[in-house]
Amino acid sequence: MSDGYRIVVLIKQVPDTSSKAGVNPDGTIDRARAKRMLNTFDKYALQKALEVKAAHGGEVLAISMGPPPALEILVEACEYGADKGYLLTDRRLAASDTLSTAYALHKAVQYLGRVDLVFTGLQTTDGDTAQTGPQIAERLDLPQITYCERLEIVDGKARVRRVVEGGYQWLETPLPALITVANSATKLQHKRFGGVYAVKELQRHKERMDQTVFIVDLDKVGADSNKAGLVGSPTVVGKTWKMGEIGGSCVMFLGDSPKHNVEHLMARLKEDNRHIEELIQ
Amino acid sequence: MSNLADVLVIADQLQGDLQPIALELLGAARGLAEKLGVKVQALVMGHELGDIPQRLIWNGADEVFVVDQPELKEYTTLTYRRATISVLEGMSRPPHIVLCGATTIGRDLAPRIAAYFETGLTADCTELDIGEYEHKGKADPSKVGTFHNCLYAIRPSFGESLKARIIGPWKNPQMATARTGAMVPCGEDTTRTGKITVIPVKFEDSDFRVKVIETVRDVSKAVDLTGARVIVSGGFGLASAEGFRLVEDLASVFKKSAVGASRKAVDAGWIPYAHQVGQTGKTVRPALYIALGISGAIQHRVGITHSDVILAVNKDESAPIFQFANYGIVGDLFEIAPLLKENFKKAFPASKEV
Repeated sequence: MSDGYRIVVLIKQVPDTSSKAGVNPDGTIDRARAKRMLNTFDKYALQKALEVKAAHGGEVLAISMGPPPALEILVEACEYGADKGYLLTDRRLAASDTLSTAYALHKAVQYLGRVDLVFTGLQTTDGDTAQTGPQIAERLDLPQITYCERLEIVDGKARVRRVVEGGYQWLETPLPALITVANSATKLQHKRFGGVYAVKELQRHKERMDQTVFIVDLDKVGADSNKAGLVGSPTVVGKTWKMGEIGGSCVMFLGDSPKHNVEHLMARLKEDNRHIEELIQ
Repeated sequence: MSNLADVLVIADQLQGDLQPIALELLGAARGLAEKLGVKVQALVMGHELGDIPQRLIWNGADEVFVVDQPELKEYTTLTYRRATISVLEGMSRPPHIVLCGATTIGRDLAPRIAAYFETGLTADCTELDIGEYEHKGKADPSKVGTFHNCLYAIRPSFGESLKARIIGPWKNPQMATARTGAMVPCGEDTTRTGKITVIPVKFEDSDFRVKVIETVRDVSKAVDLTGARVIVSGGFGLASAEGFRLVEDLASVFKKSAVGASRKAVDAGWIPYAHQVGQTGKTVRPALYIALGISGAIQHRVGITHSDVILAVNKDESAPIFQFANYGIVGDLFEIAPLLKENFKKAFPASKEV
């Protein structure tokens, strides 16, 4: 292909659960106060998209659905090397489940016209469902390969190594196709704006942002608002409750040398009749 | 018999080998079907399936739909999608509930099926139940009402110490995937009888777009976390991929052992995703679970709750893992792991029974 590939990568901004900010005493997350980050698996997806572009030419278009602050991750994706970013944001998208999220996002992909490859992360760290990618593929009538860990483009087809129980599988799919990325051998490279000129370069980039990152809503992408958001979601969260407290009775060994701690543990395991002998080779 | 439709399990098999998750789902489905007063159905797809349909009956199915064709010898998304949709659309009454394993097959297939039927799907459930639901939501008047016989699909919610009950009575089938190890099989009873129906499926050219070039499954190397009696897991405290040698070394002391990992260790790229235990990995039920350098985030806790004995080693005595472990050693795991190896062997000479 002379003009290279049109590659879409779908990314999401998620609460950073590794930081303490915004985590209430009862373990729930206050999304307004929580630190936000680019979903880990989406970094792998972005990396794969950029690798395909580096090897074969073309452009990388990042799409995210979320409230206005999610613009941050589109800017971030562009700093890593994506060519354009699109934020699908609309009040009517609140409380979307995976089905209605996939509906809205597939409309956003269609809005971009011809697409050769769609990358998504395997799953998000906040929803953890791994459902949105395949549901978008279904809506777009695309072949899909999930759990991708390696990828190469050969003769205009994607060859993907997919994780399966107890091993892996090499699959080949024609394009266009949707691929969900489980991990990546390579980490995202340094952002484009490094070195001495970083500040000026970034400034210039930000001035160009209005031609780089775009905001669209349901109407703009031609989506039916009855199929999006809460109204379009066949599932709701009926109830949440705190997980039962467990334990609190851990027998601790900490006062002694490592050697003695381990020996005391063995004695205690015998005393408690834990039948460890049955487990030893 | 109630006037509700039945509960259908999509049964995973690999190369004619019925997967444990299929039996677990049948166990869960029996529980749901008895509450609803309906039957348990199973759908199995593949080629040269032999006695698998019969075994599904022995393990809790009342009725089995079989699609046994050469095109299905190996799992691919689009062929299994076509077969599943054909069977469901051909049924006189579509099921009330459809259950799938949260495996690399189930998590690949179920979302496509749910999107095709535009119905709800809850991922990676740890509990399934039946109950009532009253929806008062003013935000969406189309959903308001009281609903009976809903599937309660219960899952731990994102990184929080919460469980969420997901409800979707507005659309049938109500679908869920369940994690390996989370449900309990009902046990094989060879006197059970049921109906087996073979269904022919017609494929389209577009179903063969994706080709399988090669599949490498090394059974000896397969990470059998769900079948292991002892799991030794490593976390971020291992500091590097090399740290997992310590984990493997300690695991070698035990029979039927496996190496596990926390999400942070997998995300750091130290060990493949297949080893991940916890919310996004697998739920495990070993006799002994040893956690080396794992802080014990809520996702991990959810995955190991069913272990008989949990032993944790961590240098931070305030690590959350000590709140739910049975035994804890505070200290440097690089010192303690080799000591554990030596002392387990010394203190518990292997039992003579074979």
